Amino acid sequence: MPYKVLYIEDNPDNMQLVQRAMEAKGYKFLAAATGLEGLKVAEEQRPNVILLDINLPDIDGYEVARRLRDTSVGGMLYVPIIAITANALKGDAEKALEAGCDLYMSKPINIRELWLRVQAFLPKVD
Amino acid sequence: MSYLTHLECSGCGQRFDVHVIQTFCPACQAPLVALYDLISARQQLDRDEFRTRVAGMWRWRELLPVLDPLHILYLGEGDTPLLPVPRLGSKLGLSSLYVKDESLNPTGTFKARGLSAAISKAKELGVKRVIIPTAGNAGGAMAAYAARGGLQAHIFMPKDTPLANIEESRIAGATVILIDGLISEAAGMAGEKARREGWFDVSTFKEPYRAEGKKTMAYELAEAFGWKLPDVIVYPTGGGTGLVAMWKAFAEMDALGWLEEQARPRMVAVQADGCAPVVKAFDAGQPFCDFWTNAHTAASGLRVPKSFADQLILKALNESHGTAIAVSDDEILAAQQQLAYLEGIFAAPEGAATLAGLIKLVESKWIKPHEKIVLFNTGTGLKYLHQDCH
Repeated sequence: MPYKVLYIEDNPDNMQLVQRAMEAKGYKFLAAATGLEGLKVAEEQRPNVILLDINLPDIDGYEVARRLRDTSVGGMLYVPIIAITANALKGDAEKALEAGCDLYMSKPINIRELWLRVQAFLPKVD
Repeated sequence: MSYLTHLECSGCGQRFDVHVIQTFCPACQAPLVALYDLISARQQLDRDEFRTRVAGMWRWRELLPVLDPLHILYLGEGDTPLLPVPRLGSKLGLSSLYVKDESLNPTGTFKARGLSAAISKAKELGVKRVIIPTAGNAGGAMAAYAARGGLQAHIFMPKDTPLANIEESRIAGATVILIDGLISEAAGMAGEKARREGWFDVSTFKEPYRAEGKKTMAYELAEAFGWKLPDVIVYPTGGGTGLVAMWKAFAEMDALGWLEEQARPRMVAVQADGCAPVVKAFDAGQPFCDFWTNAHTAASGLRVPKSFADQLILKALNESHGTAIAVSDDEILAAQQQLAYLEGIFAAPEGAATLAGLIKLVESKWIKPHEKIVLFNTGTGLKYLHQDCH
């Protein structure tokens, strides 16, 4: 069973780039274009890692992270969340970490780094 | 003529055409590196002939990216002094200590080299509008070269950037937007505007040619030392262009057959302890940096929470058996005073950070008394006179 990576992102170019990168490593790629859709997919599909854009069209990524960390949404408390943003606002990184993200990356996303970051969050397979 | 042949992605190795505008690799989003036909260059170039040319970094033009010399935007950049600093060396117990003083460049900092190369190349490729996020000095340099070339310039910089940087940019005709944030936020805004409105983004390593200008520091250094490289180079590291570029240049010199000895310097990255992502990653043995949160230091050029070229910086440090070291703002200011008091060099805080780092490396015996050491003063302290630290 391949590991599942969910990317919540409204920019189709970024989505396509990351989808190609994740599928190249054999991960099952899940996509959501809005925050609310992302929460729904997360609950239904139980991804192993979530990649989260901050600037989303409905609720922002901070709110998505906070809701994912809400104990009433079962099972998402410990799923690794990597915030990925264009970093255009002061304190994006600090706010993302405070909201419950495990890691912060700014765009453009270096794909080699992303591979290593995602891999580091996944259990080792012998 | 330039021996430039192509660009190569530092991540996946994909090749890119140098006759059209390039940014970074669209596939893996890693920086592109300029490559040259060094086999032909080795056969046709005489390293000693370069010394006879008109001073300035463009005397190395065969190894720089502009194909037609008519596009070179020259303001006198390069060929900065390599100063022996015996009084300082004696105080530290070092017999062979030098400062490469980049403050004599146009606009007062080493940024002139990179921006001269990048804006010249952009002009050659037909670019009319350039945009840059900056901690300060790169903005001033870009504004100057854009003015020289008749390009429109747009600059995002933190609102607490030294006043000199703001004013030098504006007087050169650039539009300056002061932002409530750091260079990382400025980069986000510049990238967004570039995408939305078609400006060419000259951010560190998001275009391939600033590094080419910076690499001339290494050629000058090698030439000045009779093509025998120093043992240690101590370099203030924000975006890290100069460090990466010099490491690339040493490999080029080797391929050209210009070096008298094969040994290359140990590269030292100095950062402020309020923003030390490279130091943290180097110490942890990571291949890339974590984003540094709540970055703060009086050395504005070192307030870079994560360089786009972090992997290249760490690779250079590791390959050179170098190291990375963090220093406090108090240590930087004390070093700035020492450089001025003992040697008459009024260094920028970033440049002074190299002395602060050196002091620690001597104390830890990482540096030996007889070694040949070069500190890079990347700019003039005169640009920072309005800062609170003075």
